[in-house]
Amino acid sequence: MEGLVTQIQGLSGTASDVLSLQNLLKQADDSLHAESTRLPPFLDQLDPSKHSLGYLYFLEACTAGPVTREQASSFVLTIARFISSCVAEQIRLAPDKFISVCKRFKDQVLLLEEPLRGVAPMLTAIRKLQLSSEHLTALHPEFLLLCLLSKCYKTALSILEEDIFEVDQPRDLFLYCYYGGMISIGQKQFRKALELLHNVVTAPMSTVNAIAVEAFKKYILVSLIHHGQFPTNLPKYASSGAQRNLKTLCQPYVELASSYSNGKIADLEMYVEANKDKFESDNNLGLVKQAVSSMYKRNIQRLTQTYLTLSLQDIANRVQLNSPKEAEMHVLQMIKDGEIYATINQKDGMVRFLEDPEQYKTCEMIERIDSSIQRLMTVSKKLNVMDELMSCDPLYLAKAGRERQRFDFDDFDNVPQRYNI
Amino acid sequence: MASSSSSGLTFKLHPLVIVNISDHYTRVKSQMNPPPLTSTSATVNGVEPLQQAPRVYGCVIGVQRGRTVEIFNSFELLYDPSTHSLDRPFLEKKQELYKKVFPHFYILGWYSTGSDAQESDMHIHKALMDINESPLYVLLNPTINPAQKDLPVTIYESELHVIDGIPQLIFVRSSYTIETVEAERISVDHVAHLKPSDGGSAATQLAAHLTGIHSAIKMLNSRIRVLHHYLVGMQKGDVPCENSLLRQVSSLLRRLPAIESEKFQDDFLMEYNDTLLITYLAMFTNCSSTMNELVDKFNTAYDRHSRRGGRTAFI
Repeated sequence: MEGLVTQIQGLSGTASDVLSLQNLLKQADDSLHAESTRLPPFLDQLDPSKHSLGYLYFLEACTAGPVTREQASSFVLTIARFISSCVAEQIRLAPDKFISVCKRFKDQVLLLEEPLRGVAPMLTAIRKLQLSSEHLTALHPEFLLLCLLSKCYKTALSILEEDIFEVDQPRDLFLYCYYGGMISIGQKQFRKALELLHNVVTAPMSTVNAIAVEAFKKYILVSLIHHGQFPTNLPKYASSGAQRNLKTLCQPYVELASSYSNGKIADLEMYVEANKDKFESDNNLGLVKQAVSSMYKRNIQRLTQTYLTLSLQDIANRVQLNSPKEAEMHVLQMIKDGEIYATINQKDGMVRFLEDPEQYKTCEMIERIDSSIQRLMTVSKKLNVMDELMSCDPLYLAKAGRERQRFDFDDFDNVPQRYNI
Repeated sequence: MASSSSSGLTFKLHPLVIVNISDHYTRVKSQMNPPPLTSTSATVNGVEPLQQAPRVYGCVIGVQRGRTVEIFNSFELLYDPSTHSLDRPFLEKKQELYKKVFPHFYILGWYSTGSDAQESDMHIHKALMDINESPLYVLLNPTINPAQKDLPVTIYESELHVIDGIPQLIFVRSSYTIETVEAERISVDHVAHLKPSDGGSAATQLAAHLTGIHSAIKMLNSRIRVLHHYLVGMQKGDVPCENSLLRQVSSLLRRLPAIESEKFQDDFLMEYNDTLLITYLAMFTNCSSTMNELVDKFNTAYDRHSRRGGRTAFI
């Protein structure tokens, strides 16, 4: 054991040394695990910032067994210190060990019921493990879970802003998008939540999994809140398993959506009351209530399409609100949120609906469009690369080729062409 | 051999002449049998591939009014290596023909290709001196030099200089300007851009138009960068301060912007935004079509219960 420690201390200098150290450590791994109880004092001899790889192996062996509460708090401190001071290149050589250490860290933090302590170290861990900011690691969903439990949503938002292009494990993506959706709902950023939940629901899956079912329920509700409607069919890029099974598994929500589209608030509220316990058991009752209140907004927006001016009393009647005062409050809130453009004349209680005042003649608009075009260009390049990869995929070629044999030689039409403008 | 001319004549060259000369040269060169591609075989033979740079000859014609000489057109002539002179009867016949069509045009001189004027050219030059007392020699350098910004055309005159006590005729370089008529500009433009003859589909026309604009803007950008670099150098003191140049730059800057009113800004920005939005829309469509194909392929490859049966039978 001491010999191993001295070897770690000696071989942590250059990159080639570290590789040979890694081989040594792999061979010594079993013996480390066997002696896991004796290891903690050795940890003090190693410096996490210089001997990250060796420290990682030792740490992983230490935390392998079941951990008591007292041990948990000391381990939490050690692991947090390790994460903040370790060297990224060394730990990337043993990513699965690092991931398992961090996962145990999360378990211990939850055991101590202090998820807030785990948020910052987990964020550092993600940054060190990621190969690029577009890479989704197994630590992302753990981090989001900690943020959710500790209710610090703002730090999570910084991670959610990044676009993801590479994923290690599909389960990570599902969990990440699901938690991300929940965090966005918490921050009332419904558009982002919709995007993330949409990803879960339409992700390729050979069989429907529980995460997708839960996500689908939230997806229906958020879609009602944000768009005021729910498209009954999933887009064609959703897997066929999802298309067939998800709706049957979330029956009460689908019915909620259909009664929403009728536009009558009283019916909606009755339905919600009737199925309250089902919604509650899914922890979605708050979201359902938000969906009901968004119904008023939807109705007011529908009014803007028919009328140019309307009195507050009329609005209250049409939208089934109790008094013109409530109608005024709703309209004011919507004007502030930017959902409608209107002016309220307080003297005679009339509301005038206006057009979108955006004239598209400012430099800021130019910058916005320009940045969107740049983003679209990068996406387009990546898509082209993926398309080419897919065309060369043997699975695809096998199935595409199979269909062609039935036809004549004259009927030869190969892989579909691009649009020729 | 070449210093600057002191005759005080101003020369105006039409682009038609340049196009003619380059066309002549290109035709002759491509009609010859191309030499073997490998350079090693050429050196093994010990023979320098002289055929690679044929010299072509011809006459230039135009008008001389006072001190201005304007070269309008040119025609080709055969060079007789035995007599080291141009084909005289042919030249006279051509001259008569051209006189019928363009009564004002005279033979002003002759042209050839090469990198520099040579001694043997003086022979031809003297031979032409009976038609025109002071003929011109237009020389086109056919080697393409990408670093060179000017046209590789030089005009030489002959002057009597006293060298080593002997009065000799030597070639002296003269400066010239390019003069264009509207019709010429259109045809030169056409040749320069090599547009497809049938007009092509809308896409190729748009692409050609945009390529033209892009190259123009690129050139403008590089020229401005050169100026900027120069001015920065002048500011730092590396380059001696030249006031006339500074005045020119300042007058150039004062010419922009041409219009500066709020209505113009509004309209300009709105149109700019419209164009950007259209580009955005086009990119979107392109992206969605790629995405669509990708999803189709993915579904075909990986979906367990994908639709069988693809297409209906072709009747």
